[in-house]
Amino acid sequence: MARTRHAAAQIVTQWWEAEVEMARTGRHPHVMRAGTRHPSVPHRPLVVLAVAACVLTGVPPAVGAQAWRVSSGDVEVRCRLTVGGSFHVETTALSGTVEPSRTSGAALTGTLRVDLTTLDSGIDLRNAHLRDTYLEVARGAAFQVAVLSEIALADPLPATGRQETAFSGLLALHGVERPVAGTAALRHRDGQLDVEARFAVSLDEFDIPPPRYLGIGVRDTVDITVTFTAMRPPVSPAETP
Amino acid sequence: MTGATWATAARAALVVVIGAPTLAMADPTLLSKQYPRCTTCHYADSGGGLLTPYGRSLSREEISMFGRQGASADPAQPPPAGWDGTLFGFLGEESPLQLGLDLRPSHLDVDIPGRTVADRNFLMTLDLQAAWHGERWTAYGTIGRQPRASGGRLVSYEHWVAYRVADGVSVRGGRFLPAYGVRFADHTMLTRERLALAQDDQIYGVEVGISTDRTLLQVSVGPGHADTLLHGDGRGALTGSSRLQIDVSPRTVVVASGRYHGATSADPARSGGGVAVGYAPAAWLTTWTQADVQHQVLGPSRRSYIVAHQTSVEVLRGLWVRVSPQVRWTDTDPSGDLRRMVYGVDVYPRPPWHVTVSYARDRVPATGRRVQRLLAQLHLYL
Repeated sequence: MARTRHAAAQIVTQWWEAEVEMARTGRHPHVMRAGTRHPSVPHRPLVVLAVAACVLTGVPPAVGAQAWRVSSGDVEVRCRLTVGGSFHVETTALSGTVEPSRTSGAALTGTLRVDLTTLDSGIDLRNAHLRDTYLEVARGAAFQVAVLSEIALADPLPATGRQETAFSGLLALHGVERPVAGTAALRHRDGQLDVEARFAVSLDEFDIPPPRYLGIGVRDTVDITVTFTAMRPPVSPAETP
Repeated sequence: MTGATWATAARAALVVVIGAPTLAMADPTLLSKQYPRCTTCHYADSGGGLLTPYGRSLSREEISMFGRQGASADPAQPPPAGWDGTLFGFLGEESPLQLGLDLRPSHLDVDIPGRTVADRNFLMTLDLQAAWHGERWTAYGTIGRQPRASGGRLVSYEHWVAYRVADGVSVRGGRFLPAYGVRFADHTMLTRERLALAQDDQIYGVEVGISTDRTLLQVSVGPGHADTLLHGDGRGALTGSSRLQIDVSPRTVVVASGRYHGATSADPARSGGGVAVGYAPAAWLTTWTQADVQHQVLGPSRRSYIVAHQTSVEVLRGLWVRVSPQVRWTDTDPSGDLRRMVYGVDVYPRPPWHVTVSYARDRVPATGRRVQRLLAQLHLYL
């Protein structure tokens, strides 16, 4: 029974994240080029069944009242060139939900996901090299997204106001999982949570080959800035009195 | 204004433009593509001259209307014959030795009210360029024809050797244009022409460059103006320059510069400084603004000011339109004041072709004199 409840809650969560992303960008985040739905996104009848399962079993979906869902955001990767200077790679395809753990206010459950196929460096050839040669997004679903999970703040998530804190997490990128650490600034504003997190990543640690092209290269460490606004999800059917 | 004065003005206008080895969109505009440094695409730290293989690739893949090969192209293989030109790629893009030929047939039309100045077709530039790049060493040189109103002569505008001392630290020595401000491709910009940074203003000297992720510091010192030293006319004097570039972001740059030129038997000592700001709010829009002040110990005016701006818009891939208002004024000598407006179009159909058309209108407020120039140029970087 517990396994069924968990599966049902997971289906609802995945469906909700996809719907939020679609409302924000106008296109479904997991629809592949041929117009087919990504296998990780449940079909609507399955979602209805899952919601029904949650209601009937009295179990709320995985997203609780304390959860924060990304409503908008962007990821900026600063790549430093071997000859000096740098360029930015950006995307707004950031989604996910985090929620303070019941055991510790500093630990967050949930994940933040970045669709790597949407990364844009401003130049087509560089984009093609980035996606195909270095991130190898064609190798499968694990290579198409970067997922940050097991997020832990040095200080508990504040209920109000502004706070700067260190954080750590587990980053899955290029088929490799590695711990990462950085700093985050969190600010409550009109019922929303604004977050700006910064951390650095070694390309070598994620088995990403050193980017080189005609004598120009990118240094191993890239700086990542994640900025997003999160909102409370609407009250789920199970929580309706 | 007397006839002799008009004739002098006409000759000056011709000399200014005929002497131009470069009048084309180039690296400063590529700030919009997140290229705040010259060294990505040029061998010279201060920009200009022969493109590196990466620069050639960028020209082909991102600037030109047609001719892109895409990500499937093998960088180890030279481009197809005639694709990137005759000389470039001849030795392969991976070769440490690269050659290039800079060729610019041009048409010039100068209009001065009350005077008749014949249109001219001429060869503005014909330069052979070579660069050898090893692990730490880079050797660079050009040789070509220097156009003059009285005829051409053979000249090597630049020849220098650079050594990378450590990661981010390099030293070069030889003949080069000192780093100062933003090196607009159009050398007739007031921030180049009136600051002794034009086509013939290279120095002999040594330059140290220190580069970090967000900053680039270049300091040069030398015995003086290269042509002056070669001809031994007694006008050589200690020169020094410094330039600090801060990359606020890949599309926002601030540059502070300073220069000093010692006194000679013919010229007073002069010094100057300036600030330039480059900002590209979008991938199709680049703006640069530079403001300078120049001091000199003697002369009709002890201080002059120059402000130049250039906005470049990529209307469609391979077609850029630029507008550049420029102004110069002095503190005590109004005859040195000048207002200039330049409109230009750059078309990059495919490598190695580049067509540029510039229309410039000068006005001297003190006399009301106006000069208009139209320059059409075919630039072949073979």
